[in-house]
Formats: sequence, structure tokens, C-alpha cells
Amino acid sequence: MSAELAKQTQATPARRRGRIGDLLVRWSFMVPAILLLSVMLAYPIFYTIDISFSRFDISSFGAGEWVGWENYIEVMDDYRFWESLKVTMIYLVIALPLQVVLGFSIAFLINAEWAGRGLIRALFIIPMVVAPVVAGGMWRMILDPLWGILNYWLGFIGIGPLDWFGDPTLAMAAVIIIDTWRWTPFIVLIATAALLALPKDVFEAAKIDGANWWSTLWSVAVPLLVPVIAATFVIRWLGAVKMFDIVLAATYGGPGKATNVINLFIYEEAFRSLRFAESAAMAVIVLIVTMVLTGLFLYGSRKLEELF
Amino acid sequence: MSTVQIRDARKSYGAVEVLHGVSLDIEDGEFVALVGPSGCGKSTLLRMIAGLEDITGGDILIGDRVVNHIAPKDRDIAMVFQNYALYPHKNVRDNMGFALRQRRIRKAEIEQRVNNTAQILGLENLLDRKPRQLSGGQRQRVAMGRAIVRDPNVFLFDEPLSNLDAKLRVQMRSEIKELHQRLKTTTIYVTHDQIEAMTLADRVVVMNGGVVEQEGSPLDLYDNPASLFVAAFIGSPPMNFLEGDLVGGTNLVLADSTALPLPIGDPKGRSRVTVGIRPEHFTIADSGWPATVSVVEPTGSETQITARLAGHIVRILIRGRTATKPGETIHLAIAPEYVHLFDAAPVPQLAELEDVA
Repeated sequence: MSAELAKQTQATPARRRGRIGDLLVRWSFMVPAILLLSVMLAYPIFYTIDISFSRFDISSFGAGEWVGWENYIEVMDDYRFWESLKVTMIYLVIALPLQVVLGFSIAFLINAEWAGRGLIRALFIIPMVVAPVVAGGMWRMILDPLWGILNYWLGFIGIGPLDWFGDPTLAMAAVIIIDTWRWTPFIVLIATAALLALPKDVFEAAKIDGANWWSTLWSVAVPLLVPVIAATFVIRWLGAVKMFDIVLAATYGGPGKATNVINLFIYEEAFRSLRFAESAAMAVIVLIVTMVLTGLFLYGSRKLEELF
Repeated sequence: MSTVQIRDARKSYGAVEVLHGVSLDIEDGEFVALVGPSGCGKSTLLRMIAGLEDITGGDILIGDRVVNHIAPKDRDIAMVFQNYALYPHKNVRDNMGFALRQRRIRKAEIEQRVNNTAQILGLENLLDRKPRQLSGGQRQRVAMGRAIVRDPNVFLFDEPLSNLDAKLRVQMRSEIKELHQRLKTTTIYVTHDQIEAMTLADRVVVMNGGVVEQEGSPLDLYDNPASLFVAAFIGSPPMNFLEGDLVGGTNLVLADSTALPLPIGDPKGRSRVTVGIRPEHFTIADSGWPATVSVVEPTGSETQITARLAGHIVRILIRGRTATKPGETIHLAIAPEYVHLFDAAPVPQLAELEDVA
């Protein structure tokens, strides 16, 4: 130990220079990534935080006079902020479990070997690659109360006509339907991959042990999939809290404020009402809430993994 | 307990036939090992018996029932998998009781049967552990427990010991043997390890390329291999082979025209043969085939000598110790009953099998 220490302190200047050169080379490889991340990620975040504690100076388009927590207090007092948070929560609480359950169920059903499975899987990608605005517009047409095809079909089974974008509850349902249409296939793909990666022999053991389809599902497949389900949930959650585009295209927060999710509200406040400082404060609050909840979900999913 | 009959079983994947008509009669309570190199069809055959692969042709009977179209769970078999295939989220107790619960057996009885089995296998203290909290040997024991607890007609083992380290493998081997002697359940055991097959089974079935090469008691296969393949496959270290012409009845003339006198002639009168001699059947004598020692490997109870005989490497295994040193010339003698003669053919390459054995 002491001999080693002695050797280190005795390092010749040449060797030390070599080490510094080595360090420089290593860091130089990281510079592009660091630059890119600071410009694209760190700067906007700090800019937002800076604004949120200041009076916004329209002339310099930056932070003006420091006002401390003033913007935060104002936002917290604004009932519309809480309303749109509530709307976002309703959307998340319904859409996320729905998509995860639906995604894994479809994957389980199409997991059996059959011809054309590859084609169906390829078709599943379409909703994901359609631009959100296009998806929103398309669904506006499908769900149109007067000449939309969904109401036409629902008419056959004696339902409707439903005013999809006029009724607050139905509008939220419409947003969730569009979002689910868009994102369930993504979960189906993940789930299909996960199902294919499951150990085959455990299922064979279950077959020999006499487990039927149902108990194979509940006693073997689901427990084995729990870590993947949890991870999928977290990934989907990270996408869903950013919900903006579909609402923008389909309902624009309406009717009234029924589908006015937080991101749309922040956007409106910033770029319509030009209340940049207040919306920056809201953005920071949402960021922190999201981080805390994501941390909780990650912790939870790790606990679940340990359990199984 | 029950017999198993396999009648001309065939298996094809698409146009490729991998099992070319295998027939086997397994008696009630018998321990049969299916052994062969990878790809020989032994696992496929076992999975066909289990019902995990369907049967392309022929019949499989368990007891007196054709099971070709009977679901695995109704065949009254239990299987132990190579990777244990335990339910990872269930503890040992639930892993072992799962099959019984599927049959709606009363809780009290399940509890009792699981406890009995756990006792047999020494798992009493592990019943509440999850598989990942167990060592490889313990997992293997749980997998066996899961099979035993069901009290099936037939046990199927699919390379159950190949994931264990060498020492544990030997220990589990004797445990499986002891278990079979105690339960006397018909057992079919697939392995690529000929030693495992030889030590465990009442009868060994050597398979190669989708057909049965030879079947018989372990010592029968060792003493009277019917083909070069079986001769090369059974025995460790493997048999030595020398290919050459038989001249004058008992003189083996090798490719480089070295003449080696054999103690016997060929009863079939072939002119070109491959001679097989097991390493342990050579004796070092004053006269005989001259060979130059290249390596001497003592293990205490026996010594393995690697030597060169007219350019061919031969292995010699002698009991006890020897003063022979590398570079010396020794003379090898063979008793007539230990000379195996086969049709001349290249020796099957089984190097990979030795490795895993």
C-alpha cells in the first residue's frame, strides 16, 4: 500500500503530462454531447427557472427584476391552474391503465403462432407514426357528431347520436380514445417482445402441471411480466404527462375547460395571454411534480421486481 | 407406475425428418437413459412422450393407452427440465403444490404431500424461499420435488444436471438413483453425458442422427459396442481406434505399413478393419506393440499415459502408479477378449462430448 503510494507520488513529470493529455482526450470526446445537452436541455430549463422567479421583461425577452416566489404564489392562487391539473390527472388515471392493460391483452392474444402475424404487427405501427395533429384531425372527422362514422355505427346499435366534442365527459372520452388508439400499439409491441423473451420451459412446466389458459395467464405469464409492465407504465407515463398535441388538434381544451390539460393551459397562458413569468412558474411546478411522481413509480417498479 | 411403449415414432419439422422411426419398450419401474450427441433426437423424443411436441408418425403408449393426442396434463407424467423451469415468483411450497392445486386437491392433502416430498429431498427448511434465493442444486431438487409430489406414472428428465457444477452433478446423480430405487417409478432420462447414463440407468439407449444406435445394459454397451459410434461414445477416456488392413489373419497393417500383431483374427473375415481398444485394457508388458510415451498423468488411484504408436495417439489407463517417463518406449499387450473389430470407417468425432462429460 505505502509502496504504491510512494510510486504514485514519484511519478515523473513526463508521465504526469501523459496523464493530463489522456484526460484531455477523454473530455474532448464528451464535449459535443455536453454542448448539445447544455444548449438543448440545460439552458432552457435554467432559463425557465430564472424567468419563474422574475418579472418578465418583454423588451429583452428575458428575466427582469427578481420577485422571489411571487409568480408561484399567484399561480397557486389561480383556480384555473388547479382545474387543468385535475383535468390532466383524470386523463392520466384513465388513459394509462387502459392502454397498458389493453396493450398487454392484445399482445397476449396475438402471441400465438399464426400466419399474417407479422403483417398485423406492422399495421400496429401506423398509429404511432401518424403525426399527432393529423391523428387529431382524423379523429375529429371520425367523431364528428353530424357526419362522423362512429356515430353512424353507434346508430346501428341504438346509441347516439353522441356529441363527442360538445359534452364535457364525452370530450375527455374522445381525447382518451384518440390517445389510446395512438399509443396502445406501442405497448403491444413492447409486450409482444416481452412475451417472446419469456422462458419457454416455465410455460411447458405449467402445461404438464395441468394449468389451463386462465391459470397460465395469472400464475405464470402475468407474474413473469410484472417488471416489463411496470417499466412500460413508467415509459408511457413519461409520454402521457406531456399530453398536448392531441388535445390541441382535437378539442383545444374544450368544451369549456373540460379537456384543458396543464400543458395546453401553460401554453395558452404564455403565448396567448403573454404571462410568461407565471407560466414559467407553472412549468417548474409541473416539472417537479413529474419528477417526484416518476421517482415514486421507479421506486415502486423496483419494489415490484423484487417481489417477483 | 406404468410401462411406456414407443412404436416407430417419427418427427418431422416441415420437410426435415429428425426422428426416423424409433421403437422402444420401457418396462414398469425401469430407469432408461437416452443418450447421444446434441441433435440426435433424444430430447425431441422425450418431449414427444411428454406431449410438448406432437408426433408426426408412429404411436406412443403410456400404460396401454395411446397418448398421441392426449394433452400433457392428462398423460400422468412429470418432467424435470434442464433449466429447472420453476415458477420464479412462487415459493418452494407453491412451486411443488401448483400441479396439485390445478387438480383441485384438498388443501390439507396438498400440504401433507408437499411436506412429505420436501422431507424426502431435504427441502423442509426451504419451503418459504423463492427460487432465486436457492442454489443451483437446491433448485434442481425443487424441480424434482415438483415432479415427485404428483406421484406420476412416468418421470421424464431432460438433462437435469447439465447446469450444475461437476461435484454437485455427481452428488445429485446418486440422489436421483437413490430416489428411483425408493420410488420405483418408470423413468426416462435424457442426457448427453454417457457417464451419467451409465451410472444411473438400468438400460441405456444410444441415439445418433435420429435413430437408435444400440440399447442395452450399461455394461453390455461397454463390453459389446455394436458400432464404431457406440464404441467411441461409451467409455471415458474414450476407446483407441486404429484403422488398417488385416494381413495373414492377425496382422494389422497400418497406413504407414507398420505391422501390429493382434491376439485374435476377425471372425467375420474382413480384410480392412478399425480396431478398438479401451485405454484400460492395455497392459504394459515386456513385449507387444511399441509406443513412445509422451505424457504421464497420475491421479493417484490410476495413471493415464498418452503415447504415440506409429504416429497415432493412444491413451493407456493403468491402475496404480508407474515409473514410466515421457520419451521412453513401452510395449503394449492386449488380451484377446478386449479387442473390438469394426468395419473400417473414420472414427466419429466426439470431442465436444468429452468436454461436457
